[in-house]
Amino acid sequence: MPSWLETIEPNLVIDPTHGDRLLATGDWTFQHADVLIPLLDKSRGGIGNVDARSINRLDATGSQLLLGFLRRHGVDENELSAKPEHQALLAAVIGSSQTPPEKAAQPPLHIRMLGGIGLWVDKGYENTLIFLSFLGQTLISFLINIVQPKHWRITSTVFHMQAVGLNAVPLVMLLSFMVGAVIAFLGATVLGEFGAELWVVELVGVAFMREFGVMLTAILLAGRTASAFTAQIGSMKSGEELDALKTMGLDPIELLVLPRLKALLVTLPLLAFLATMAGLLGGMAVCSWTLGISPEMFMSRLNSELAPRHIWIGLSKAPVFAAVIGLIGCLEGFKCKSNAQSVGEHTTSSVVQSISLVILLDALAAMFFMELDL
Amino acid sequence: MTDAVRDIIEVRGLCNRFGDFVVHENLDLQVRQGEIIGVVGGSGSGKSVLMRSILGLNRPQGGSIEVIGRNALSPDPRNRHYIEQNTGVLFQNGALFSSLNVLENVLVPLKEHSTLPMQLMTELAMVKIQLAGLEPEAAFKFPAELSGGMRKRAGIARALAMDAPLLFLDEPTAGLDPISAATFDQLILTIQKALNLTVFLITHDLDTLYTICDRVAVIADRKVLVNAPIDHVAAFDHPWIQEYFHGPRGRAAQFAQEKL
Repeated sequence: MPSWLETIEPNLVIDPTHGDRLLATGDWTFQHADVLIPLLDKSRGGIGNVDARSINRLDATGSQLLLGFLRRHGVDENELSAKPEHQALLAAVIGSSQTPPEKAAQPPLHIRMLGGIGLWVDKGYENTLIFLSFLGQTLISFLINIVQPKHWRITSTVFHMQAVGLNAVPLVMLLSFMVGAVIAFLGATVLGEFGAELWVVELVGVAFMREFGVMLTAILLAGRTASAFTAQIGSMKSGEELDALKTMGLDPIELLVLPRLKALLVTLPLLAFLATMAGLLGGMAVCSWTLGISPEMFMSRLNSELAPRHIWIGLSKAPVFAAVIGLIGCLEGFKCKSNAQSVGEHTTSSVVQSISLVILLDALAAMFFMELDL
Repeated sequence: MTDAVRDIIEVRGLCNRFGDFVVHENLDLQVRQGEIIGVVGGSGSGKSVLMRSILGLNRPQGGSIEVIGRNALSPDPRNRHYIEQNTGVLFQNGALFSSLNVLENVLVPLKEHSTLPMQLMTELAMVKIQLAGLEPEAAFKFPAELSGGMRKRAGIARALAMDAPLLFLDEPTAGLDPISAATFDQLILTIQKALNLTVFLITHDLDTLYTICDRVAVIADRKVLVNAPIDHVAAFDHPWIQEYFHGPRGRAAQFAQEKL
């Protein structure tokens, strides 16, 4: 091993010839900090000067420890003698040892809580305004875009249709099938007590056609797609890509938002239809296995007892949900700042907002259609 | 061997390939303890790949790399760990953690690798921040609030946090205005002298090469063509080197250096 890789244990002893002088020896480096701290702590007071000329290797940590020790014992820095090659380092550390400025004291907890609520309300109000203005901007861009076929961005739209719609088909159908089966089981348990097992068919049919088909799809897409939109646009923003677009005279809404929104508007209703079918299939499977209702019977009962308006009511909500998911996903992307933390926060926020809004709107729609006796 | 010529980095027969594209072939490089070595080369000549190989961020296809007397390519994690503890790196854009302020950024390596009391760690971090030429007030700023130059200074402070004897700088003056770049060069020189560091510096900046580098290594044709003091390198007979040092910018930098 070369000599420069060897380390010497640091030490601090009283000079045998001068009682008020301390001799520092060995390596005063970061690696030995855990030895140096107790060594310096147990040193007694009443020191006149420190001889550091026998220090073998010195780094900034060692210098800081040594200088801190001198300061604690009220020894002037001039009373420290060091090797010529260590002087520059000691001088640099002396010149750099200002402590960080004190942070302003925080107000008491209840004031901070009150302030937090105020900020939250204010931010909610601001976010609502931002959302509405974004909705307006997008709507205007959309209307202008319709009469300009040259700006339809068909490639981009189709790409997003594949990413958002086609690639989500297996997931949406599988989960809908499961939920359909669960609802059929629930119906079988509850309705079975009244001997009304046959009504399981209506239960599954109405539930999926009116509510679950479209809501399950919307919730899945809110998790899967809104987050993706936010992350895509957010990372474009942090890479200054949005600024580049603007300086080239391109409209980020037309280029980024409209293709995504159009893709969702087309694919969400289609996915919702597939989800409804998968849910009915799940119900049908449970009916034929556990209740003895054959698929033929299931279908004929579905045909005779349920009006087609149920599925139209369900699917009528799909474009609204598509718009909510697309708009929130893109808007949160635009709100990102250029750091990783912010992209994460806005992705979370976009999923939370779009799922909550989807459920809220669904509840409102349910009340609305009930009042209309549909 | 005298103290001046002991090798802190020793790269022998390094081979790096990405698919069919050969970046390095039988590349040799020695870096002496206590020197500032400037690594230059055209875009795509593999300067960054060389640095990443030495740092263990890129696994080469062949060759050997020794850093501070340890085999950097050995499967033993203790070797890797030892090298990591003894090297500091400044990435091109600082690579500061965007969710932490400057002080917290500098504290990250200290907290992870030492058991010192918090107050001492803060003191040490503040020393490094000021050594890197930042005001104490900058300690509580977040990377997004800093200018490019300040971000690089904060990056240097973090690279120095553990008092590593070996410092890697990837294009430290890129993106800085000429005045800031010159100040930054001086800062590197001051820190290197005060802390007795070995500095491995990738640069395109001819002024940096002329003002602070002890030796210059030129990477071209997949290997280190020459590794010597700058006057010697500038006289080396190779088309790229001649173009680089004796093109309009090279002459200007040389002229500026002679005037000093």
